[in-house]
Amino acid sequence: MFWKSKPLWGNKTRLKSSYDAVIIGGGLHGLATAYYLAKEHGITDVAIIEKRFIGFGGAGRNTAIVRANQRTQYNVPLYKEALDLWPVLTKELDYNLMFNNCGNLNLMHSEAAMKAARMTIATAQFHGVESHLIDAKQAKELVPALNISEDITFPIHGAMFHPPGGIVRHDAVVWGLAKGAAKHGVHIHQHTEATAIHTEDGKITGVETSRGRIHTPRVLISAGGYSAGLIYHMLGIKLPIAVLTIQAMVTQPLKPLLDHVVSSGAYHCYANQTLKGEIATGAHMDQWPNYTTQNTAHYIKHQAEALSDWLPCLRGVKFMRIWGGLADMTPDMAPIMDGNDQIEGFYMDCGWGYFGFKSCSAVGKYMAQFMASGHCPDMLKPFNLRRYENHQLMGETAALVSYTPDN
Amino acid sequence: MALTLTCPVCGQRNGYEFRYGGEDKGPRPAEAGLTPAAWCDYVHMNKCTAGVQKEWWFHRDGCGSWFTTWRDTTKNLEVAKPEASK
Repeated sequence: MFWKSKPLWGNKTRLKSSYDAVIIGGGLHGLATAYYLAKEHGITDVAIIEKRFIGFGGAGRNTAIVRANQRTQYNVPLYKEALDLWPVLTKELDYNLMFNNCGNLNLMHSEAAMKAARMTIATAQFHGVESHLIDAKQAKELVPALNISEDITFPIHGAMFHPPGGIVRHDAVVWGLAKGAAKHGVHIHQHTEATAIHTEDGKITGVETSRGRIHTPRVLISAGGYSAGLIYHMLGIKLPIAVLTIQAMVTQPLKPLLDHVVSSGAYHCYANQTLKGEIATGAHMDQWPNYTTQNTAHYIKHQAEALSDWLPCLRGVKFMRIWGGLADMTPDMAPIMDGNDQIEGFYMDCGWGYFGFKSCSAVGKYMAQFMASGHCPDMLKPFNLRRYENHQLMGETAALVSYTPDN
Repeated sequence: MALTLTCPVCGQRNGYEFRYGGEDKGPRPAEAGLTPAAWCDYVHMNKCTAGVQKEWWFHRDGCGSWFTTWRDTTKNLEVAKPEASK
């Protein structure tokens, strides 16, 4: 029987009544933080509390793309470190994460977009991240299936080519980190729901779960799309987040035709070919906040239209599987990592939108450092929650993202 | 994500005709004595309820009405106003 068998990552553990640290959310950020807490900081008495099973949320629903070509000086080094960590973690965890650094190609569909790409590329190069601007002809040489005709809805002017990015097997990261964390003594409790967080005199004292109370001085909420709702309803801290379903799908397997991750902001569409040959593709987020994680005919049609425009060889190909996940969007499209501020011993790691997967390795390392010392590492300081009331929003997006009338 | 919303003027219409207007946060705070924190709370902060919430909608491709309604964010269904709101 499944529930009697030994978990893949180690021995089954009993839920204790007290831990040095409790992490709510058994996704990649929670697992990575627990792994680094135990490995680097000697805090091994850690419990991961997961309502369903590890990798149920965004960890298993993302499209596995990793890259470090973000827009601002605060974000690029963080994502660069995350990217550099994949080969390191593969060795350290002794688990094949199947990192395929096939490179990312971001299509640009106007001269204005090309100018924006120039700036992003300059930032990347300044931080030692390889990124180049190429024209439509060079893009066609890299991806012969690309339609560079001027006769499509959004003709391709050029692209931002980021060779070190690519694909990592997301389930392998979940299993590898779980195995690594458990080896160092971390307890992973699946099917355990956190129902309340207890505080006393502005300090964390414990977590109430569906399987009993845990006493702890430190709590991290890193529950992906569910974080903002949990943080408000458990602690009354409001966050500048809107939670939206983001949909993805894969086609039937095809012979190799795409050996890069290709994305287009104008088409709201990104695609890569998996090792099985399927074209994995994702869409823009839903138009209004919801927690359904359901797909809709609206977006399946949108994906089919977009793909058959810029990758016309896919016309007539069938979608085989569809799924959705949650994106917790902030107005400046940069995450919120904060802690030990509003409540002593309370940490949060959320607002990642659709960037949670590609950042998890480095964030785990720094959040662990934060939780172990109680002091925010310099790398994470710009991502504090107070930046919104201080009106110091990050420039990850040129236009404020607001899921209000301007959406 | 299919959704049907009830416009006070046009009645039940397809959700894609509407534009989401954010969680209902009550009246705009008064300018006098307004702190950055209070303004930020009104402009940016959300409760992100997984369940029934009161929210604003705009009938963009219709009569242009602004109205509030209640919706279950886990099911994406418009619901009647709860008897007693928490």
